[in-house]
Amino acid sequence: MSANNDGFSRSSSCSRTRPSTPTSSTSSVDSSSTRPEVNGAVYSELHKQCDRYGFFVEDNESKTKKDPRDAQLSVDVILNREKKWLHMCNNWDKFMTKKWRKIRDRCRKGIPNSVRGRAWFYLCAGFKQKARHPDLYQLLDSQIGDEKINDEIRKDLNRQFPSHEMFAENNGFGQQDLFHILKAFSIIKPEIGYCQGQAPLASVLLMHMPAEDAFWCLVQICDHYIPGYFSPGLEAIQIHGAMLNGFLKRFHPPIYRLLKKQNIDPVLYMTEWFMCLFSRTLLWPSVLRVWDMFFCEGISVIFKVAIILIGSVLGDSEERKKCSTMYETLHLLRNIPVKYMSEEYLIDKVVTFELSNRELQKEHNLQVMKRKKEKEKRQKEEQKRATKN
Amino acid sequence: MSYAYLFKYIIIGDTGVGKSCLLLQFTDKRFQPVHDLTIGVEFGARMITIDGKQIKLQIWDTAGQEAFRSITRSYYRGAAGALLVYDITRRDTFNHLTTWLEDARQHSNSNMVIMLIGNKSDLESRREVKKEEGEAFAREHGLIFMETSAKTAANVEEAFINTAKEIYEKIQEGVFDINNEANGIKIGPQHSPTNTSLPLSGSGSSQGGGCC
Repeated sequence: MSANNDGFSRSSSCSRTRPSTPTSSTSSVDSSSTRPEVNGAVYSELHKQCDRYGFFVEDNESKTKKDPRDAQLSVDVILNREKKWLHMCNNWDKFMTKKWRKIRDRCRKGIPNSVRGRAWFYLCAGFKQKARHPDLYQLLDSQIGDEKINDEIRKDLNRQFPSHEMFAENNGFGQQDLFHILKAFSIIKPEIGYCQGQAPLASVLLMHMPAEDAFWCLVQICDHYIPGYFSPGLEAIQIHGAMLNGFLKRFHPPIYRLLKKQNIDPVLYMTEWFMCLFSRTLLWPSVLRVWDMFFCEGISVIFKVAIILIGSVLGDSEERKKCSTMYETLHLLRNIPVKYMSEEYLIDKVVTFELSNRELQKEHNLQVMKRKKEKEKRQKEEQKRATKN
Repeated sequence: MSYAYLFKYIIIGDTGVGKSCLLLQFTDKRFQPVHDLTIGVEFGARMITIDGKQIKLQIWDTAGQEAFRSITRSYYRGAAGALLVYDITRRDTFNHLTTWLEDARQHSNSNMVIMLIGNKSDLESRREVKKEEGEAFAREHGLIFMETSAKTAANVEEAFINTAKEIYEKIQEGVFDINNEANGIKIGPQHSPTNTSLPLSGSGSSQGGGCC
């Protein structure tokens, strides 16, 4: 029996960096079988070939596989889009105040790779923060910071996109930059310090821009796009989980019922999606397209992607029948078939999916209210119990 | 594939102690020196055989960072076994065991079997926590103890399987109510439908896995 075909193998969201080796999935307590062969081979990363995004080809073949859409874009189209983006960047305030829809549409079409970093930096207004505080990053960078937090950051440096050329080398430039911006962030935001969810975001930013710009983008994301995501208690993520559940009830009632029946808390499958903005889940071209839209339209894009993915994997009643327990359902949600994560399948659906900020706000208020009531109820019960004792 | 029982496990402990590597070594029999860190939770599963019975282990691997505790607590619910892991080369990960233990005991059922694991035993030259200290901690808190190496695979099988044995024994003794899924144990489809309610203290139930 193959170890991979019935949910008996490890199901990992980062399986793309872990080529699976089917092995027997049965062992016996009494068996005196020899030890499994250990694969402790160290990568010779630096000699590997990279794809156009900087990922080592062997590890990532399925992840960044050339998308048919790539081929459709002629050089002329790309050059034309670059020109438009450069023009927008040079007249940014005018476009932001008067032609926001134009920017949005261009983000939805996808930002050309050559200007992507700059576009993100502009879209999140990181460039304005940098202009307002021109020396702040250098100042933060020169500070020692909290050694305990620094240690925490250091432990994670070689656990970010290890299959990307920028982060593969121990203490290489990518890892050094990553350390610097996460440390600077922990100093400027002591109430957050360092949360592990930030490191993948910072890494994606570093793939597209210099450390100082990446730092400001990270600050903007944490302050304005996903506030509260990295605060102690992770309250904001839990609220967004509840909101996602609310949207499933509306858009995919049968899936909502299945998840409810199996008592699946949304944080069990959506934490990584939302916290890392899908950067560790989707195929890479899709990650970039989702981020292009996210920088312009905000968290609604992440909700849309989540609702579409869940609808794709569990929309079919036959698929739902296969999910007889919580485990099978979670396994499926954490191992979404590649075909649903490609640029070609996903992006058009995201663009046409209607979910307004007003609806988001409404659902947000609803869930916050619910949580408040539940909390009060719990407190009352605890009080009752305390007085009984 | 049919099984007699399903046990739910959780793996907990500080960040970077090797929780994901232990799971990968157990489920896939390989060691991945470089990998993405765990955010939220990941899952793995494997079949083992105890006393001639097929047992499916369903393992939940959790993020170790303090910030994630509020989320990981919800994974504790309904676990029959827990692997509490520290790194023998980092004293602080050993010092935090009490907090982890309190957390686990508070949010799980009281019969949960806890296995204390001192991981990275291959790094003897960098050892900061003596084996005796791990043993003493386990003795004091009523845990089973083992030192493992996810890298060389030393004791990894044993850690997962001995935990399962202990759970299995508790079932035999009637300590676990196997009809209550909140205990992290499920009777598998291997038992014929006519016999879904097994005797709790079935001394004779150790014979044969196909049907009882």
